[in-house]
Amino acid sequence: MLKIEHLRKKYDAFDLDCSLEIKPSRITGLIGQNGAGKSTTFKAILGLISVDGGTIAMFGKDIRELGAKDKQGIGVVLSDSGFSGYLTIHDIIPVLENLYERFDKAFFMEHVRKFGLPLDKKIKEFSTGMKAKFKVTVAVSHNARLLILDEPTAGLDVVARDELIELLREYMEKEEERSILISSHISRDLENLCDDLYMIHDGRIIMHEDTDVLLSDYALMKVNDAQYAEMDKQYILRFRKERFGYSCLTNQKQYYVENYPHIAIEKGSIDELITMMVRGGSL
Amino acid sequence: MKGLLLKDLRLMKMQKQFFIIITVIAAGMAVFGQGETFSPFIVAYMTFIGGLFTLSTISYDEFDNGNAFLFSLPVTRQGYVAEKYGFGLITGAGFWLLGLVIDIAAGLTRGMFSADTVVAALLILPILLLMLAFMLPFQLKFGGEKGRIAMIGAVGIVLLAGALLRKIAGAWNFHVDDALNNLETLNMSIGKVILAVVVLAAVLFFVSYKISVSIMVRKEF
Repeated sequence: MLKIEHLRKKYDAFDLDCSLEIKPSRITGLIGQNGAGKSTTFKAILGLISVDGGTIAMFGKDIRELGAKDKQGIGVVLSDSGFSGYLTIHDIIPVLENLYERFDKAFFMEHVRKFGLPLDKKIKEFSTGMKAKFKVTVAVSHNARLLILDEPTAGLDVVARDELIELLREYMEKEEERSILISSHISRDLENLCDDLYMIHDGRIIMHEDTDVLLSDYALMKVNDAQYAEMDKQYILRFRKERFGYSCLTNQKQYYVENYPHIAIEKGSIDELITMMVRGGSL
Repeated sequence: MKGLLLKDLRLMKMQKQFFIIITVIAAGMAVFGQGETFSPFIVAYMTFIGGLFTLSTISYDEFDNGNAFLFSLPVTRQGYVAEKYGFGLITGAGFWLLGLVIDIAAGLTRGMFSADTVVAALLILPILLLMLAFMLPFQLKFGGEKGRIAMIGAVGIVLLAGALLRKIAGAWNFHVDDALNNLETLNMSIGKVILAVVVLAAVLFFVSYKISVSIMVRKEF
């Protein structure tokens, strides 16, 4: 669906070098702190910025060769941009009908009603939650093959986030060959939704793993100085000095469970994992 | 393309009160104006107000970084530019027609209609082309606020260059005013002059479109 190889973009104080791949029928998450390079990657994928190197292929084509027709196959949510705030949903419906051959008006209206979005109110007067729901509804309403969603749940409460994630699940179930690339700094959203996760930090992909593997094989171990000194460290990805000794991140939980039964091993949330990957030292 | 046109028409709808007031003022001028048989001012005024709205739509598109989303829709940069030029022509021509209808209606009511009205009004259309050709690249390159300043600067430079050229030409014993006055002696009928102006305006409009496309292709959002 989408393949990025060594995408380079240089700004004064920032340098992006990113490779990632979105396979058919998969939901892929991109996690990273603010300023890690998520939005720059999304903008490059959408051809909104020039790039300094690398290749981006979507639907098997270089993105520079994508025409208006190809772009009908993607649905986009951008965190800092959307339809003109001066328009109403009522204004936007005919625009969508004419931009997208496969715009499903009945589906769109059903969700507008479900989310309680007003038809004749200017979008700039919408609440944050209404704006987010509207953006995602637009992205999923024209039978796109690929959704590119940059922080679609930013600023939403838990209930609203769950509603949107449910909408994305419905989207995936509707047709076989659909994929989603989604970014968020709220990892719980991605943990429950994504098949695989990329972690980006300082413009570099520092980890890529299937979510199942992350949740089953990755673990945080709390060890004292003596335990740390004697343990086998070949499967330790990151470590950090703590008051009690060391926190260690491993991707071979079972190995340590079997060989070091006295070590405290925690499953570890994705947030803790991110913190360790970013702040921890590597051996 | 049609989707973008619809979007801009919807944006225009927001300003409908402004356009109604403009139309009422134009109608007032046509009916109560001082006794001329035709006032090209009304048609010109309406045409330019209509044509200029395409510049406002560019500002609306830029508002709140809206362009980033706009260009993730099935819209190419070239298509966007073509739509802005097309929209300027449609609204300009639409208001031109409205102005002309007002003028003719006022002329008929006052029993002073002449066919010259239509001919004179037709001459405003190439001026609409020139105006759009000049203003759109500035608006696309610099955006709403800066675009206006850049445009004023450009007008200044053009006037200065014109004055300078005239002086230089004068020094070489070529007088522009005389040359213009002598067009007739050069065997150019008024019809040919009009044709030349129309062709020139169309060519400049096309050149301006090409410049605007190259401006938009380079832009980052």
